[in-house]
Amino acid sequence: MARTRSKRRAQLEALLLAPVDWLEERSGLVGAVRYFLFRKVPRESNWFHTLGSATLTAFLVQAVTGVILAMYYKPDPDSAYRSIQHITNDLTLGWLVRGMHRWGASVFIILLFLHMGRVFLFGAYKYPRELNWLIGVLLLTMAMGEGFTGYLLPWDQTAYWATVVGINLNASAPIAGPFIADILRGGTEIGPETLARFYSIHMLLIPGGLAGLIVLHLYLVIRLGITAPPWSESAAGYDEPPRVEPERRGLVEPRPRGNGDGAVVAPRRRTRV
Amino acid sequence: MADDLRPGGEPRDEGVEPHLPAPTIGPAGFAAGIALLLIGLVVGYWVVVAIGAALAVVFAFLWVRDLTVGVRHAPPPEPAAVAPAEPADAEDGAYRVPRAKFLEASTLGLGAAIGGIVTLPAIGFAVAPAFVGQKDVNVDLGPLENFPEGQWLVTVFTSHEDQGNVSRRTAFIRNNGMVDEAPSFTIISNRCVHLGCPVQPQGPMDEKQKRELPNDVEITPTQPSGFGCPCHGGAYDIEGNRIQGPPVRALDRFEYLIVKGHLVLGKRYSVGSVEGTGAKAKIKSYPRVDPSQHVDGWEQYLYPYVPGG
Amino acid sequence: MPTKAEQREQFARYKEDVARRGKSFYPYAMFHDTVMSLVVVSVIVGLACLWYFTSGEEAGNSGWLGPRYTEEADPGTTSFVPRPDWYFYFLFYLLRIFKWPDSVVLGTVGIPTILLILLFAMPFLDRRRDRRLIRRPVAVVAALLTIASMGILTYKGATAKESLASENIALVPEWVKQEKLEGKAVDGARLFAEVGCMNCHTYLGAGASNLGAPDLTSEGTKGRGIEFQKQHIKCPQCVNPSSQMQPFPNLTDEQLTALATFLEASKGPKS
Repeated sequence: MARTRSKRRAQLEALLLAPVDWLEERSGLVGAVRYFLFRKVPRESNWFHTLGSATLTAFLVQAVTGVILAMYYKPDPDSAYRSIQHITNDLTLGWLVRGMHRWGASVFIILLFLHMGRVFLFGAYKYPRELNWLIGVLLLTMAMGEGFTGYLLPWDQTAYWATVVGINLNASAPIAGPFIADILRGGTEIGPETLARFYSIHMLLIPGGLAGLIVLHLYLVIRLGITAPPWSESAAGYDEPPRVEPERRGLVEPRPRGNGDGAVVAPRRRTRV
Repeated sequence: MADDLRPGGEPRDEGVEPHLPAPTIGPAGFAAGIALLLIGLVVGYWVVVAIGAALAVVFAFLWVRDLTVGVRHAPPPEPAAVAPAEPADAEDGAYRVPRAKFLEASTLGLGAAIGGIVTLPAIGFAVAPAFVGQKDVNVDLGPLENFPEGQWLVTVFTSHEDQGNVSRRTAFIRNNGMVDEAPSFTIISNRCVHLGCPVQPQGPMDEKQKRELPNDVEITPTQPSGFGCPCHGGAYDIEGNRIQGPPVRALDRFEYLIVKGHLVLGKRYSVGSVEGTGAKAKIKSYPRVDPSQHVDGWEQYLYPYVPGG
Repeated sequence: MPTKAEQREQFARYKEDVARRGKSFYPYAMFHDTVMSLVVVSVIVGLACLWYFTSGEEAGNSGWLGPRYTEEADPGTTSFVPRPDWYFYFLFYLLRIFKWPDSVVLGTVGIPTILLILLFAMPFLDRRRDRRLIRRPVAVVAALLTIASMGILTYKGATAKESLASENIALVPEWVKQEKLEGKAVDGARLFAEVGCMNCHTYLGAGASNLGAPDLTSEGTKGRGIEFQKQHIKCPQCVNPSSQMQPFPNLTDEQLTALATFLEASKGPKS
């Protein structure tokens, strides 16, 4: 009886997994996803390590709400303000989308700084992760630039004057300053070109750069591995060999020790070739 | 079957294909003829119909002739295998570029050219504003009667009609009286020269006395004893000279003309400092620059180039 | 400083340690990430709701988290006080610290550029292997100093005040009540609110306070006399050579008298 049941079960599994197998055979993507999901991270990984993915979540919130807002926003000085009022007051849940985008920006920046601080204090910028740190600093500057360009878009008093000051800050840089300011403004004074320029930078240039660099950042994280906290038992990061402590017994059953193939940790589906 | 899909593998040879006749023009011409015939019928030009019919007949004849060529004549011989081109021998004497190197160089060269053709105009378009000056337009503020002598007026005007509200600007205007039979005006821009914040008159300014003039001009009387910037604490005296705080020079001013009894605003220019006051003021003027840029002192050499000329 | 071979060998040890003792990303670490992401999204939605439901449709109608929008941009305004978004407050306050024209470029681009260069150079400045906090005193101290200074600068940027003549004038009745002003002192109070004194001085909690000018709430208790006040306002440097106060030469004698009376009558809030 058991053999028939398991045979039928095996047939059912095969049927359900057929699309996955089809995809895997033609692209190898399923294997990549599986590698990402079941890769090993240090045992001592803790909640501090969630700040990076939290930042990514905030960025995705910004991207999605930004796309929706772009469907209703009009980047022209004569209609921008009205379109913002329209979005906030008239459209169904427009206030929610706009509010999420506006406060998502602040949350994004806060999480960025927290993540950077965590990486710094864990020493996770040291060999071989220096490149990742550099990419991260680039991401930080681009995110601040994103905030600056986005601030102008509602075209209200706050937006306009904060941008005037911001552009003139750039103008104060010696030698190149005036040119940078003119390029940002699209002229010698803030005008309709400025809004269009900022919109293009905010919607296309910087998000494209952010997305590309985030992909690179994540690739390096997966390739180089996650850094264990500096108080971990791990041998990494110590100038002298580690002490080996006996396993402590607590009230809660310890997590299963993973061995090489991860079979204990989660059931693995095997593709059939 | 799965072997065929592995990347990097060559498709296997399935064996010798049956020999097909070389492609001829018959079918294509026949199709063109039929198409012309139908088009002619649709649009009603009989000439086109006739031409199409003729073409169809001619090419049908040619096509049938080609199809039956095997029946009428012996099949043409197999084309001889063509030997792959061999690289020339060094004994040849003349230098010949290996094909691989030539392809490499032309790929890189063409790629660079294409990249340049796409990006350079785009970049030029994006940075052009820094090198092209913006045209200044004169603004007619209205008849001189609106600007009584000795009265400071906060004047809001539109500097470029075609740009609309985004080009609204404010100036503090005072009629200093007649000098050599022409009225003398002090016209000071309200943009702080530290970082561009709107400067306020230090004195009572009654919003209720605001008047709207034609040409989108608003004037509000005020009695300032100086000007102050709320952003970072900059302070200016009544002539716009800096007396305190981070501003790096005096407030900018506007040139003006009197045209048919109207006060007309001209270009904005930057000011290093002003000596004297009112009609007797001696203004050290410079071409217009952005806020935070010095025009005198040693710091002027930090900003050697004025974009836009 | 570890050699290349030592670095590589240490990294190999790390990899091997993770392979041997590590836990699978899914579901252990991914669970943490998912919970945190949920928190993030909830916080964003919560903030958006708070912001919307406590504010009104008119421009400037501010709730717990600020207004939905201020007035439409008016490049010709004389009564608006510009502010950047909160995460730029530390830069904003830096600009207020550098008040001398020669030093402005330090605050605008100098310090931020230097900090950014330091950030970029971090992995090359610190090449030691050790990640334990106890063994990295410079890093820990630098981090604490950075957090403290950014926090303080942001806070001071957020609470920075300046005075708008149109807003100050509305405070005069309150001053009259608290300091029991009468007669000419009330006229002086109005002048005080409008003429720019509050760009540098504070009075009963209003006005700008970061330029080193003294608070004038109890100026009258200093016994300086009306004549002194008049001379001082007209030409501060004549009376006090080291003064940084701007002179007010264009005030009429009557205005000066009113101001001086107001100052001498300000003996602090009376309960």
